[in-house]
Order: sequence, then C-alpha cells, then structure tokens
Amino acid sequence: MDDMASHYQVMEELGSGSFGVVYKAIDKTDGEIVAIKHIDLESSEDDIQEIQQEISVLATCASPYVTQYKASFLKGHKLWIVMEYLGGGSCLDLLKPGCFNEAHVAIVCRELLLGLDYLHSEGKIHRDVKAANVLLSQSGKVKLADFGVAAQLVNIKSQRNTFVGTPFWMAPEVIQQAGYDFKADIWSLGITAIEMINGEPPHASTHPMKVLFLIPKNPAPRLEGNEYSNTFKDFIAQCLTKDPDLRPSAKELLRHKFIRNAGKPESLQELIHRKQDWDGGRGEAKDVKYYAESLNTMTRPDDLDDDDWVFDTVKAPPMWKPKGTDWMTFDEEDENMPDPAQMLEDMHISQPPAPPKHQANSTVRRAPTDRTPTDRSPSVRRANTKRRSSGIKQPLGLDLSYGNSPSTVRQFRRVSDKVPNDLSPTKQGFDENQSPKTVSTDTSSKEAQIGRRAYTKAVGLSCQEVLSTTGDGDKREAISRLAEAWSDLEMVDPEGLYHIVRIMNEKLQADSRLSTLLPSTQPDSPSRPRLVLAQNNPHLKSHRRRQSYVPEPQPQSPPSVPAQAAPGMEHTKQLSDVLYQRWSEGLRNRWGGI
Amino acid sequence: MAFFFNRGRSRQPADIVRSTKELLLRIHDSQNAPKAEEELAKQLSQMKLIVQGTPEVPPSVDQVHALVQATLQEDLLFDLSQSIHLLPFEARKDTQTVFSHILRFRPHAYAAEKDPPVISYLVHHRPEIIVELCRGYMQSQSAMPCGVILREALKFDVITAIVLYDQSSEGESAIRLSEVKPNHPQRGDGVFWRFFDWIDKSNFEVSADAFTTFREILTRHKSLVTSYLATNFELFFGRFNNILVHSDSYVTKRQSIKLLGEILLDRANYNVMMAYVESGDNLKLCMKLLRDDRKMVQYEGFHVFKVFVANPTKSVAVQRILINNRDRLLRFLPKFLEDRTDDDQFTDEKSFLVRQIELLPKEPVDRARPTRDSPSAHTAAVA
Repeated sequence: MDDMASHYQVMEELGSGSFGVVYKAIDKTDGEIVAIKHIDLESSEDDIQEIQQEISVLATCASPYVTQYKASFLKGHKLWIVMEYLGGGSCLDLLKPGCFNEAHVAIVCRELLLGLDYLHSEGKIHRDVKAANVLLSQSGKVKLADFGVAAQLVNIKSQRNTFVGTPFWMAPEVIQQAGYDFKADIWSLGITAIEMINGEPPHASTHPMKVLFLIPKNPAPRLEGNEYSNTFKDFIAQCLTKDPDLRPSAKELLRHKFIRNAGKPESLQELIHRKQDWDGGRGEAKDVKYYAESLNTMTRPDDLDDDDWVFDTVKAPPMWKPKGTDWMTFDEEDENMPDPAQMLEDMHISQPPAPPKHQANSTVRRAPTDRTPTDRSPSVRRANTKRRSSGIKQPLGLDLSYGNSPSTVRQFRRVSDKVPNDLSPTKQGFDENQSPKTVSTDTSSKEAQIGRRAYTKAVGLSCQEVLSTTGDGDKREAISRLAEAWSDLEMVDPEGLYHIVRIMNEKLQADSRLSTLLPSTQPDSPSRPRLVLAQNNPHLKSHRRRQSYVPEPQPQSPPSVPAQAAPGMEHTKQLSDVLYQRWSEGLRNRWGGI
Repeated sequence: MAFFFNRGRSRQPADIVRSTKELLLRIHDSQNAPKAEEELAKQLSQMKLIVQGTPEVPPSVDQVHALVQATLQEDLLFDLSQSIHLLPFEARKDTQTVFSHILRFRPHAYAAEKDPPVISYLVHHRPEIIVELCRGYMQSQSAMPCGVILREALKFDVITAIVLYDQSSEGESAIRLSEVKPNHPQRGDGVFWRFFDWIDKSNFEVSADAFTTFREILTRHKSLVTSYLATNFELFFGRFNNILVHSDSYVTKRQSIKLLGEILLDRANYNVMMAYVESGDNLKLCMKLLRDDRKMVQYEGFHVFKVFVANPTKSVAVQRILINNRDRLLRFLPKFLEDRTDDDQFTDEKSFLVRQIELLPKEPVDRARPTRDSPSAHTAAVA
C-alpha cells in the first residue's frame, strides 16, 4: 500500500540502524513523532519471510519497556517499519562521553529486567541484549530495541540451538549450542552492565573468534575493584552464572538488592544531557541528512540493448523482419489477435497435464520412452537442490553506490561501534537517496569493477581485520577513519581505487627491500576475509539479510580457515576448528540448504 | 491476597470455558463490550496459565485434558475463531496460545503416530472452525493470531485437505474429511481460493501473513497438493499468474515467483511442472520477468525461465518463442545480472541456457507429443 507512506512526513536521518536507515518522521494524522526504518528489500537476497518473522515478534509486544511497533508497509521495494521515537539515543551512544556510574547502571538494569521479564513471559528471547540495543526516551525511559535475532518459542519450556547474538555478550551455553532458553538474555544483561560501567564488555580487545572460545572456557567475568559496591558486584556475579540452571530469572533478579535500590528513570536524563554537552563541546555541526525520496531507485543497465522480446508469433521464425517491428514490445493487442498459433499455445495450459507415458504410446513419431525426473538436464536438477541457498549470493553490483548493496560503510560501523563515526570529514555525501551525479559516470568499466571488488574483497576487510585486533582507542579511530575514506573512494571512484591499489602493489614489489620484507604474496584464501567479517558482525542472520554480504562457510575446507583467521591462535587450531564448524553448522541450521 | 489467589486457582476449567462462552456472546453487543472485553481477557489469561503453566510450575496434564474436553463440549473454539478480532490485544495473543496448545494436545499414552484428538475432531465434526480461522484474514486484528493457529493446524495433512477442498459459503456447514473428492475440479470460490484476494488486497502485514500460510498449504503435504494442482491446473495457475505474479506489491510478486519456482522444481510436482513449461504464455510471463526493472524479480524469474529452456521436450509454442528471440536471448543472457560473479551456480546455469538456446533448431520441431501440442491434429493418432 504505497499511500501509507504519505501519512508520514519523513525528516532527518537518525542513523544507520543494524539494518537499513532509520529516519525521524511525523505521523501527519496525529502529529506524533515516530522513527521509521527503511529496509531495502531489493538488496536483500534473504527470504523476506525472516523479516516478517521479526515484524511479528515486534507486533506482538506491548510493554512500556520494549520499543513500540506501530505499523509496517511497503513503498516500492522498500519496507517501512514505523516505531516509537526515542530521542535519548542508545546506551552505547550515551557511553561515548564516558562510563556510567553505578546508580545509572542500576536504573538501566532494572528497566531492562522489566522488559526481559515481559518478553520471557511472552515466550520470546531477545538474544542480542547489549548497550547498543537499549534505547532511551528523552525523559529517561529505557526500552529494549532491535529484534533482529529475537526468537519466538512455541512452548514455554522449549529451547533453542541457533547460534546467534554478538560474541562478547553471548552466554556460554549459546556458544556451546547445548540448547538454551531465556537465561541467555540474563547473561547478556550482566555483560551489558559491565559494558556500561567500564565502557566496553569483557575481552573487548580480543579477537571475536577467540572470545567464542574464551567465554565457555574461562571462569565467568567478575567486576573487580573497591570503587564498586558489593551489591553491584553480586548482581553481576548472579547474572554471569555459567550454569544457566543456577542463573536467576528476570523475575528473581528484580528482587535483588541492587535493583530494588535503583533510582528513578528520570535521573537518566543526566546521561542524555551529558551526551548533548559532549556533542556540543566538540563543536560539531551535526551532519544532518534529510530524507529525499529517491526518484530513480533503479536504473536499467544501459549497456543492455533495449530490444524487448518478440512474442508476435504470427510468422514462422526464419522470416523477414521489418526494421520497425524489431523493437516491438509484446502488448495486449497481440493477445487479442485471433492468431491460430497463439490459440494453439493458449490451449496447452487449459489441458490437464498428461501423464508422460502417453509419449511412449504415441504412434506418430518416435518419442523418448522413459521420462522420469532423472531424465532432466543435470544442471537444472542441481539448481533444484542448490537453489535454496540463493541467500548466499553476491549482491548485485549496479546499485553499489547507493546503499542498495553491501554497504561496507555500515559493515564497518558495526565493528567500530566505539569509534565516533562522525569524525570523518570524508563521510559526508553518502546517502542512499542522494542523486547519482556525484558518482563518476563510468562506474561500470572493468577497472571500476575490479576496484569495487578490490575494496570488498581486500581493502575494506583488511581495515576491519586490523581494527578488530587493535585495542588502543586512538589507533582504532585512525584506522576507522582510513577505512571510511576507502569506502568513500569506492563509492565515488572505484576506478581510482583500483589504480591506487594496483600502483601500490607495483611499487611495493618494485622496491627490493620492501618486497623481501613483505610476506610472500600467498593468495589469500577466499574464505578468510568473509570469515573475519562474519565474526565481527554480530547479527549473523540479520546481517546476511541486511547486507546480503554473507559469510560463506566453505564446507569443503573448513579446517584451514579458523586458524588463519585468528592470528596468534595457531596453538588453539583444533579448538577453533571445532568452534568454527559448530558455528557454520549453526548458520546452516538457520538458513537451511547451505 | 492469598484468598483471591487460591480461589482463582481452584476454578475448574469447565467453569472458565463456560463463562468465556457467555462473555463472547456479550462482546458482540457494543453496549456491554468494554466490560465483557475486560472479563474475557481475564478468563483467557487463566486458560493460558492452565495450558502453559509458568516457568516455575509446569502445566497439569489433567487440567489441560479437562480444559480440552470442556472447550469441545461447549464448542468454544468456534466462538473464539469467530471473535478474535473483537478481543483486546493481550487476549488475542492468549487465544492464540490456548488454541495452539489445544490443537496439539495428546492425552496420556496417546499413540504418537496418530493425529492429536482435537485435530481429528475438527476434520470430522467441526471443519467450520478451520474455515473460520482462514476468514480471520478478513480483519487485520485477527489475521496474525489466526495465521499462527492455522499454520500450527496445517502441519496435519487432514487440515490442509479441508482448507483445499472446502467450498462452503459463510453460514453453511463446511466440508467433512469424508466428503473430500480429490478428482472433482474446484469451483474456485472455496476458502483456499480466497487466499489470492487476501494476499493481493490486504495491507502488507495481513498480506504477508496470508502468503506465509498459502505457501505452507502448497508446500507441506506434497501428494495432497500434487493431485490438487493436477485437477485444478488451469484455475490455479491462471490465478497464480494473474493475481500473484502480476501483483503490484513488490513482496507479493517476488515471493510468488519464488514459490512458483519451488512448486515447479519439486520432484513430487513433476507432471505439474511439465504441463506448466509447455505453455507459451507462461514462457512469455517469465521472459517479461527477466526484463523487470527490479533485480531480485529478474533473478527469481530466471529460476523459472531456466526450466523452460532446459526442458528437453519443449512444446512447439515454447520452441517458437525461443527461436524467435534466439538472437536477443543470446545477446541478453551473457549480460544478464552479470554482477553475480561469485554466484557460480548462477553463472553455470546461465551458460548452460546459452548453449541450449544456441542448439535450438532453425524451426520448431514437433517432438511427437500429441498429447498437448496440437490436440486436433493428433487426436486420431492417440485414439
């Protein structure tokens, strides 16, 4: 229903959410401010059904502690999801000026527990509790958001095995895939509490792959230090009980002293003001991007010759074709023509399907006698079985520039959550609705294509990889700025990107000292970058849907992959292999048919 | 407090069912509705507690059994399925939970391979409930809860049979399982056929849920569906092509092309597929999809188109269209979605299709398929 969109006045961008872009908007019918998520379905190869699943989880939630779903509808190939607007930002945003104090953490935890208690009583598991998914209203109300990986259990006692979430926040039983339930959210809440008081979750500087192996192996993290109260430490210890059976439920934790003594949500406004001051102090003119309706969401590939199919079946094939009708399109008039050939064709569909054996009975001409399905061309039958995996396919390249495709910027931002993205001066100008004129005209040249590929396959991922192994804040920021600059270049001038990479490579090789110092140019395993991307990318499922850039587990050669992917982990090769396998199985379970 | 609590607990399931039934009558009357709604919400949440238990206290099988018996006795499921759209938000969800649990319920020592007793009861004695659940798609308030319950029920082929074959109008009694005649062509106005409209005409949320159910009906119980499609081939694909594949809604269009591919490429539907790919009109439809301006539509269309080309015994009509467009196709295909460089399967298939098209004869060859290509000419031969 396209007209639904006209009920909303869409204003500035609030940010690129975990999927799609989120805009602030006004509901014209009642003047209410809302947040609208735009999901470009054309860039998602994923089953649209999974998005519906998320919507149905959202739509069946009505709690003051959960972001309220309002409506969803289609506008062209974009899905708009209308949600309650929360002006305070996410807890992760609010952490940018500095860590929270204990009192603030207590309030957030209590509100989250109320939200989790509601969800759990509804048979829902959130599965991705973390500061980034906790939103605050302007008045300090705390709400759980982002149901990208939430699960609806059929039965109150049933369990899940799927491997989803974000590594640092994942409960040990989720990683071990021994079956988990609501208690997994409680663990993540404990990690989130640490994140709020420390600014980051435990193991934050460790490679995510390694974390997957540390969480089940190591004793549960604890809050240390005299600056924290004992009740707080105990609360965290309760949440981070490794045995889920011994871990308390949300209801039980609501009775914990740390929670009972928590103050009013209004005092969280301090955090919101602090963030506003901090933003102001940095003298940043906020880079406001306004929504602009994209007129040409899709362009037809211009290198395709425009000759449409010829369906005028009037004449026999090897006939003289007048120049004019060469471009003829199939229109309705053709169908009305009482053409004998046409009529014959029409009859086919109206006949009941004939059993194949009739062919053998046919006396007219020799016919294949046995027409079982195995007769069919092998490549089509393979398609039949392999087709289900259509989700793991590369995105379509034409629209790369306009966010319709694996926006590596967003991928990158997911990783560098803690880095203020808006620092980058080069970032402006990326807007998926921006008109295409800033882009070099010939983006489909071979160089441009190689350039794009070089970016997706090598440059962007290298930045991510280095970033994920870098702990120091300043360094991370610098790397992240560099990565965004690459990404901008890729969007504006993939051809130039290609030339830089090519020349850089040549120069490196040309210098005798450099070329000997550099590790020999062994071709990277193609699965390696993908794997890194996948680990860093928390929303395994939603990520795939959102970016359609998919970690592609390569069943034929998994053993070689993990050890490579995690430098410094060679000694744990076997273990990481096992983990990797389990993880890819998890993916397979989710997606089927990979 | 304790007093109230105990009183609530000790209420018998039969009492709850009876008062729910009474309240449901009152809810249709707008004067009493607000108060009845509130009361109903309480009753339903009690029922939910009975079937679901709490995280601390598991449900008692005896209590559930008593509840199931009472609901059947009072015919409560029918009343509920008719009035879900009138219930308040939480009560709709509770209804969904209670309903699904009742459908699945198996008493002690009930043979695991047999359908649950309520499922059997529905198909033999009260199929109207199933039909009524489908009609839940007529209102957006009831669409999602009814959809969830329906899909739970459609796990059983007997329920799918009722949905496929029922042709009752509103107020009439629905088809019993024993009355199903698979070889009788459908009129096309039964409850299954209304899904086309629900998918096409509803808002996104309802349409998407209706499609999910529609797909469940068509893909879960293969043998049932295969014979249904064979009997109602023209009616079904006529509507499928005209309403769903031609839909203005991006999601409906894309999902239905995908579903079409799945139906056709399912081994169980081999005959259906062969019949589909003989038709020149169907081929035209697919070729137009290849030229759609949305890439994912093109892509899904490709997976149907390839079946036409790969078919070793193409009908004359199909050959003629392909031959007429041979040059165009050979120019078009190599560039078609050429950015899918990592998609080996797609690339392979594309070059396979190119080879097949190159190998087409100069003129259509009638491969002695008298059954379909030109019935008039070959009737004598077949006879």
